[in-house]
Amino acid sequence: MFRIIKKSLRIGVVTGRYQKANKPELPVTPEAQDRARLFKRSLAIREVDTGSCNACEMEMNALLNPVYDADRFGIHIAASPRHADALVVTGPVTVNMERALKDVHKQTSDPKIVIALGDCAINCGMFKGSYAVTGPVERHIPVDVRIPGCPPRPAEILAVLSELQGKDNTA
Amino acid sequence: MSEAIFCDDLLTAAFPGILKHDPICAKSSHFTVPKDRLPAISHYIHTQPSLRGRLTLLWACDDRPVRDSYGLYYLFTLEASHHWVVLSTELAGHDRLFPSITPHIHAAQWYEREIRDMFGLIPQGHPDLRRLVRHEHWPKGTHPLQKDFSWNNVLERQQGEYRFHHIEGEGVFEVPVGPIHAGIIESGHFRFSVAGEPIMQLELRHFWKHRGVEKLFEQLTLTDAVLLAERVSGDTTVGHALAYCQAVEALLHLEVPRRANYLRSLFLELERLYNHLGDIGAMCNDTAYALAHAHCGRLKERIMQLNDRLTGSRFLRGVIEVGGVTQDIESRRLVEIVEELSHIQSDFSEVGAIIFANASLTDRLETTGVLNERTAWDHAVIGIVGRASGRDCDLRRDRPFAAYDELPVNVALYRYGDARARLRVRGDEIHESIRLIREVRDKIPNGPIASQPRSLPKPGAWTLAAVEGWRGEILYMVMAGEDGRIHRCKVRDPSFVNWPAIQWAVLGNIIPDFPLINKSFNLSYAGNDL
Ligand code: SF4
Repeated sequence: MFRIIKKSLRIGVVTGRYQKANKPELPVTPEAQDRARLFKRSLAIREVDTGSCNACEMEMNALLNPVYDADRFGIHIAASPRHADALVVTGPVTVNMERALKDVHKQTSDPKIVIALGDCAINCGMFKGSYAVTGPVERHIPVDVRIPGCPPRPAEILAVLSELQGKDNTA
Repeated sequence: MSEAIFCDDLLTAAFPGILKHDPICAKSSHFTVPKDRLPAISHYIHTQPSLRGRLTLLWACDDRPVRDSYGLYYLFTLEASHHWVVLSTELAGHDRLFPSITPHIHAAQWYEREIRDMFGLIPQGHPDLRRLVRHEHWPKGTHPLQKDFSWNNVLERQQGEYRFHHIEGEGVFEVPVGPIHAGIIESGHFRFSVAGEPIMQLELRHFWKHRGVEKLFEQLTLTDAVLLAERVSGDTTVGHALAYCQAVEALLHLEVPRRANYLRSLFLELERLYNHLGDIGAMCNDTAYALAHAHCGRLKERIMQLNDRLTGSRFLRGVIEVGGVTQDIESRRLVEIVEELSHIQSDFSEVGAIIFANASLTDRLETTGVLNERTAWDHAVIGIVGRASGRDCDLRRDRPFAAYDELPVNVALYRYGDARARLRVRGDEIHESIRLIREVRDKIPNGPIASQPRSLPKPGAWTLAAVEGWRGEILYMVMAGEDGRIHRCKVRDPSFVNWPAIQWAVLGNIIPDFPLINKSFNLSYAGNDL
């Protein structure tokens, strides 16, 4: 027990120890911000992978580690689309995942926000044109927010989400 | 060399009809065999005590534009010498049938189903001919890797249903999970049959994320396709890029400068480090030990930020190129890296002491998800999972690449095959990677970091390359086409081999332990589905 407490005391607080991102490349639209206002200061996110290379997922996961700790901004991951305010979609939409994506979108209660994370979700990236890809995401469901990058850094994701929530998460 | 002669003599003596070719790369032999002898010969290689060949890769190739035939290739790795034996055969004209070797060699199961889906060639005698990659809504007769199938042909949908294996009996019920999961995980479907708590059967239904990677390779040139290789499985960016580049360099007869080789090893070890740290944390999280998860997440983040500072990419994207690496690391930076890693190492040692002192964690991990050595051998399981089940294989030692011929590796090996053994392998490898990076700092020579390709390979030339990524053995087979393009590229992530084995490791465990077992394997869906 002492070992654990000693370790925690020695490490101290690591939250916020990352290089802050610049202003997002693609600004968040006022409509999306309006919709996000309904969720007050929290945002429950459901992540859907429609054929990513898994680097985008890893960066989403990184948001939850003690360094970024997205929870402190009211951002958390919902286990079911029914509990979600926002869908984060990664990857080009593959033929096999197309139906699942539409289902999830339908199951997410309104009002909802769809966030396309990564170049693949926005424009299929390197997989554009392939026989097995039917994407991008906006071809299947309406997209409100786009976060470009391959993959975007967690700090960049946070910057966009804070703009969406209309608050300053960079502090 | 003597090993090659021994194995070649043994095979030519046992099967007089087979034809020997020039080896495709160092430490390998290549034979052409008549297709009806395939099962007998592969069975012999697999079981003969002095050979004990592990089926390492099985791929097909559509050569019809040039030769009016399909080629089939079987790669075995001999157990003791790690020598490669390639068997190849041709299906000429309208022949679409080949004898299945699955009844003798279980590890061929998915490969043969994959070939059937992608090429329309039928493995005769295969016990399970359901579709694998092509989900049921793909129209009949679509085989994307046939040369006359256009790469951007949009598929239509048809009706169809996958038939799962059912277990029947009183109290048996099925639990379907996925393709979309509760956490931030990739997409895949798991179907459990349970009676009460214990799992009686698990069936995987994957390939939801099939993006047509191998076909996309065929649209690219040899030097450009590195970008695609990096995106096969994002967490193994360096491993895939390196394996691909090694194959292309062999085709171009390109000598990689020694300094570049050392840097490649450095990047590969950094990738191993952040993934292993993340995995240990995630396994602890699945046993609800949030403290260890937080510590490991913090350590992983430190390494990813280090990567970012060094190369401008947290995943080390864009650092490996054909001929060498794109970025040099000055010796001053190398000293900094080693210093940072020494901190991380002592930090991790303390975290490790906390983790292993936790009795309830040990209780969850021990005897959970046991994959015994026999099953691991039957499925040709490799990488960390294999090393936790007593399979002593690590390409960094067995078939050295990059700078590993000058950086001897101590291979972590455990025999219990449970989740705890897989955790321990990772823990040991973290220390070993940091030790290797120190050695890189001490031994790295000066010199150029890349050499320029000068010639184009002959169309039809092909080769194999293998890299021990953090998950295990990554294989690339690249066959050159016209004008420096790719005729065929076979990608094999270790996940493709290890996924089926998980179906055996979970038997008798309870469903709540499945996330933990799955995490202890931590296989890639993207690398598997391609
Ligand atoms: S955008 Fe890049 S990192 Fe994200 S899934 Fe696509 S290829 Fe991977």
